[in-house]
Amino acid sequence: MSGLGAMNALAKRELIRQTRQPSRIIASVATPLMLWVFIVGGFSSAMGEVADAGTSLTAYTIPGMASLTVMFASIFAAISLIQDRHDGVLRAALVSPAPKWSIAMSKIGAGSLLALIQALIVLLTLPFLGVSLTPTGVLGAIGSLLCISIALIGIGLAMAWIVDSTQGFHGVMNALLMPMWLLSGAVFPVEDAAGWMRVIALANPLTWTHGAMRDALGMSNAFNPMLAWAISIGFAAFGAGLGIWAISRTNKP
Amino acid sequence: MSALDVRDLRVVYRRKGEPDRVALDGFSLESNNEMLALLGPNGAGKSTLMGVIAQTVHPESGELVSPSSRNGLSIVFQTPALDTLLTVRENLRISGALHSVPKGEIESRIASLSVELGISDRLDEQIRHLSGGLARRADLARALIPHPSLLLLDEPTSGLDIDARRSFWDSMQRIRAQLGMTILLATHLIDEAERADRVAMMARGRCVLVDTPTRLRASLGERVLRIHTRNPEQLEPVMQWVRSLNGEPHRIDQTIIVPDAHSIDVQSCPIDGVGLTIAPPTLEDAYSIRTNEGALA
Repeated sequence: MSGLGAMNALAKRELIRQTRQPSRIIASVATPLMLWVFIVGGFSSAMGEVADAGTSLTAYTIPGMASLTVMFASIFAAISLIQDRHDGVLRAALVSPAPKWSIAMSKIGAGSLLALIQALIVLLTLPFLGVSLTPTGVLGAIGSLLCISIALIGIGLAMAWIVDSTQGFHGVMNALLMPMWLLSGAVFPVEDAAGWMRVIALANPLTWTHGAMRDALGMSNAFNPMLAWAISIGFAAFGAGLGIWAISRTNKP
Repeated sequence: MSALDVRDLRVVYRRKGEPDRVALDGFSLESNNEMLALLGPNGAGKSTLMGVIAQTVHPESGELVSPSSRNGLSIVFQTPALDTLLTVRENLRISGALHSVPKGEIESRIASLSVELGISDRLDEQIRHLSGGLARRADLARALIPHPSLLLLDEPTSGLDIDARRSFWDSMQRIRAQLGMTILLATHLIDEAERADRVAMMARGRCVLVDTPTRLRASLGERVLRIHTRNPEQLEPVMQWVRSLNGEPHRIDQTIIVPDAHSIDVQSCPIDGVGLTIAPPTLEDAYSIRTNEGALA
């Protein structure tokens, strides 16, 4: 049996579904952009430049908004597992000879591709904000965003496997991911934060992934780039492994 | 080797705070190159048995001898397992890929099955735009794309109107004649079970009886007496009257069924206000009596 063939077919299905639900793409991109406008509009006059590198708050928050876009897209990708269960599509896949990892990997693969496309739309605003994009910078940003999407879709799949309702899933994911995102240097530099907040931020893998992305884009970054990349890749591997493990270990059609 | 061979299966559902529920209790069955109907009430264990065969439910004890893997196995569930945003063709392609059917072969199978099932002109429509009957036929096509050697049909016509059900079974019979496969049908509809080569009657997780519909009917003799009353107090006197004539009454709710009733004179019934009918036995009579016995055993 070909797990790759099954994975490709299921991933293609995810992409087709996306094209037939354009509202999902609009929601994933529009929400972070609106948030960005409100945050920047509200704080930029008060905060001025961020850190010591002369980056404006407007530009500083763009990588965070790109990762928020990835976060929303990842939640949509993972939540589709619950929809698949209710539609019976998941049952058909689980009772087929296709290996179960192919189901998880199709969600992660297609979901990551869609998340990246949406996040790149956000990143493309950077040249208009005084940050020049180089091919290496874009590749680095893609790499770090890919790490975030793989990790979050994998974690989301594991959650979706446990939680039966979309309402419950949203509750759990919001409770987990929004604090994680806020304490990751997405909207303010956490490296200068004092006490407990700094400790939590340093334990947060998203902080390091943002650090890797900022470093690639040539923006101010207080973290060791090699360590940031190692943690980002480890985060992705953990998320993907968790998603595959959750779907493979039990049957819940 | 039989396409289906399960031995002494026992499945118990255990949930915190709830009493254990035995879904299968020493269930054994063998089938090959036939359509075998599992006939039983809700909760008899039909869907659990399907789950064991599909390897999504794991028995506490017993053995699934065949099928030993999911290769060659396909299932039609109680509701279509199709992506409603995708077209019929896209759904069928995915089914082929999940079962490792070669790409070129998938297209030719889609073409032939869609003609056979009467959906060839709807292949490029999204499932959400199809009627329930057409979606069912598309779902049957999904299950048939891998040309399974064992096809499980789990109440495949639930929710369909009479015409759609007839159309489904007409298509099913044509395809069955072409492909040749073992079919296990879980149903609680007598007329669907009549279409099977053999019927396995289930009650409380046990297989009560397996035989052909003809022989199951014949096991009740040439004629049965059906007695119905709305007054529960009349049931016991009626049963005593039947026993006095050497009949063997079986009480099922407000009805009493008496097999081998050709010698009973209904005019001699001393109780007024009960409905008495003498008629050839039906599969429903056999089902009612045997599953009632099985439930009481």
